[in-house]
Amino acid sequence: MSLINPSNRSKGPHKGFSKRTENNRIYAHPLPLVLFTPPDPSPLQRALGLVGISSTQVLNPHCEGVFDAATRSVWVDKHGGAMVLWQRGFFGKGDLSRSEPSWLARQINARKMAGKGLTSEEVTAKRRAERKQFKLDRARAMAAAAAEAEVAFAEGRVVSPGYAPDGTRIIPSAATWKPSLSTAAEQAPPTPDDAPEEGEEGDGEEEPLEDLEHLQLTLQEAFFLLWNLDCLTVLSPDTHEPLTLPQIWDTFQNAHHPPHLSALPPAPSPSPSPLPSIPPSPSPAPALRRFDNPFLVNYVVYHHYRSLGWVVKNGIKFCVDYLLYKRGPVFHHAEFAIVVCPVYEDPADQASSPFELQNATPFTWSWLSTINRVNSQVQKTLILTYITIPAHSRLSPDVLSSPACFAHYSVREVVLRRFIPTRMRD
Amino acid sequence: MDDALELPTAQAGSSPKDLPEDDQSSGDEDDGPDWTKLPTGAARPVIPKRGEKDFEPAPGGGSGLQLHILDRARAAMIAALQGSRNISSKSISYAVWYPDIARAHVTTARGIHFTAMGHSAARPLSVDDVQLKLHKRLELLPEEALYLVERGGMFCWKQTRAEISAMEDVEGAPMTVQQAFTEMIGKEDLTLEKYQVFAYLRRLGYVVTRAEPPTESYPIPPPFVARKAPRTVFQQLTCLLWCSVSKVSQLWGAAFDWWRPLRLHRWFHRGITHTAIFKSLRFVPSGHSITLRPSNPRPKTPPSPYKIFYNLYKPSTPFRKTAPPPPDFSIVVVDARTTAIPSLHELTSLFGVLPELPPPLPRKRAPPPQASVNPPKTTRDSTVLKTQAPLLQRLFPWLLPKPTAPSPQKPNPFVALKAGKKSVVIAAVDAGSISFFRFSQGAFEEWPML
Repeated sequence: MSLINPSNRSKGPHKGFSKRTENNRIYAHPLPLVLFTPPDPSPLQRALGLVGISSTQVLNPHCEGVFDAATRSVWVDKHGGAMVLWQRGFFGKGDLSRSEPSWLARQINARKMAGKGLTSEEVTAKRRAERKQFKLDRARAMAAAAAEAEVAFAEGRVVSPGYAPDGTRIIPSAATWKPSLSTAAEQAPPTPDDAPEEGEEGDGEEEPLEDLEHLQLTLQEAFFLLWNLDCLTVLSPDTHEPLTLPQIWDTFQNAHHPPHLSALPPAPSPSPSPLPSIPPSPSPAPALRRFDNPFLVNYVVYHHYRSLGWVVKNGIKFCVDYLLYKRGPVFHHAEFAIVVCPVYEDPADQASSPFELQNATPFTWSWLSTINRVNSQVQKTLILTYITIPAHSRLSPDVLSSPACFAHYSVREVVLRRFIPTRMRD
Repeated sequence: MDDALELPTAQAGSSPKDLPEDDQSSGDEDDGPDWTKLPTGAARPVIPKRGEKDFEPAPGGGSGLQLHILDRARAAMIAALQGSRNISSKSISYAVWYPDIARAHVTTARGIHFTAMGHSAARPLSVDDVQLKLHKRLELLPEEALYLVERGGMFCWKQTRAEISAMEDVEGAPMTVQQAFTEMIGKEDLTLEKYQVFAYLRRLGYVVTRAEPPTESYPIPPPFVARKAPRTVFQQLTCLLWCSVSKVSQLWGAAFDWWRPLRLHRWFHRGITHTAIFKSLRFVPSGHSITLRPSNPRPKTPPSPYKIFYNLYKPSTPFRKTAPPPPDFSIVVVDARTTAIPSLHELTSLFGVLPELPPPLPRKRAPPPQASVNPPKTTRDSTVLKTQAPLLQRLFPWLLPKPTAPSPQKPNPFVALKAGKKSVVIAAVDAGSISFFRFSQGAFEEWPML
């Protein structure tokens, strides 16, 4: 595992460089499928190569996950290929981690390395602690400056609080503040806590850590992997038998059906729909096949950007639906923030929809301002991704029984930026 | 590859000073003025940064020092506002407002304003109810007249029917600024929001004209012609690619197995790459060229407020009033409180009347600072590479593929993606505060990452 490997923690000026090469090595493959050309081709392959058939082989990792209806996700554990899916295309998220399933690495770090090798979560925690300290320091300096100014005012002089006589600010700013020795000492305490523990038990006697974490794939990610690349098997939560592709197609759509739908008389199919929250296997056909099923709508968007080579991650932290990364989160910050805006071709479909799709009607200017402010603050460009939902009136319901329905959606983007006249004058 | 250029600018917490091209974050235009700096005082101290207060109110309603600073700031503001506004009678223009035709006829034009405002219109000159020949005169639209009146550059009379025999040289009654606002807002599609946008942009030096000519005599830029010929080679290539892909998929429509979209054996003849896999997955229809259904949505009872209202020219754009060039930006003005953001259909119809912008030019590198910073080793490496590639190509022209025409300097995909192909500026006005947003037609499908 990369995070606990001390080799990428080399000190010195080449640290960033070696980290980058290490990342390039670990995350070399953009997809779980590895393309592989045998270095020593067999005579048969050589002969095939002569007639134009390449000897490139596709190594399919054949991962395995369990469908979980309550969280609308597919759980992949360590043995099912969790790290493969993360390292080759950044699929999924550790359920105990921010993104990469690094829970075990964090535990081992905490035990053995006493905070020397930091996972990304730990780096963030450290930065937050420093930031807090900075704010405390700044507040202290400001209070001192204000008190000084008050004293001066009482003496009859008026000075601006916070400014030195030459006009420079004496309050520390984020650019000038440095963590002082005292704060570094405050960071240190974990070490003495750990040390006696290790002394008592010794390294070897420590209880071996069990990896309690799994990778959770959203239904979109899981369907992309299993439908396009055929590198994921989804097991039924009840029987642990592999689900067939048509079963998965129905299961994933059922996962989004609101609970009250089961009470409705199922219009197209006469079979009564059971509790939709725990679909048994094999899953029945959805009570109501609709083009605006949230799984389908989100999948079309997810597939569109994945097929263009972007790494697509959840964007809820930035008020949006998805974030687009070039190559992946370990290489660059996300460049684009995607808001999915469904557009019904037929307004009647929207009126009759059991799903309340977000942003299906244009939102207010104040909300647009809000999300644009949030995202321009972190240097991301806001994209409104409009996806048209085909009208039920123009298509036969059979279209929805297979992924062929994806051909009837369409995706288009609108790039949104603030226009600031004072800066556009040239 | 220009890796340095492709490095994302996304970096939380970096100071805005490091990002000169950062036109997204808000700037000084959001600040209220610091009135204490207005009167010419002593040497200017450091202007306080935005977002940092000078002090927090002390418990118990502010200390003596705080009250003193507040009082000083208030007094400065009142003093600045109290100053009487003067204008020399030699530099003032004169106009007569005709409410029937919603135009102000400029009788005396002075100053530089009329290089960018006003148009000539032919009006019948009637004397004693007998129409004589047409007479050309300089006329102002309501927003132009109001802007000049408000900024104190023009004195406006109102046309009166009553015969005032005592004043023969003046045809009308003088108008106050308040009267001008009351009479001119609401005429010729001018709302208060539209006037506020007009005045704000004019004060910044932009030239603002109407996109829809109110009369035939109003000069407008030549209508843009859909440029088919000067498309870039890249666009032609993508079009060719898409056309062929769609044709092939039509032919093989039955053969495409929707349960198995990716069939790897297809590439055994050309070798499998990840790029080929990604490319074969691009079967979801995308892009603004796809027909949007329903193509003509039912006409809503209230017509859409999203109509291009103003053409905007940068101060640096050479502008001729009689023959305006194509505008730099197109502006839509809406009331932010009563209007939602445009729907996809509204945006599509807006983009439908706009010209396609050329792809952004690759950003020029600044070699002098880089050359001085970089050690000479890297420059030597790059020169070696530069000389090697053409040599190899000269020796084996069949071996190396010719560099494709569009990519001698491939534009940074991020810049192209952010710029979009067509763009419209929408000004959302909320009770006088204007926020401008640029909506651009994205083209992600033309710039795949892999």
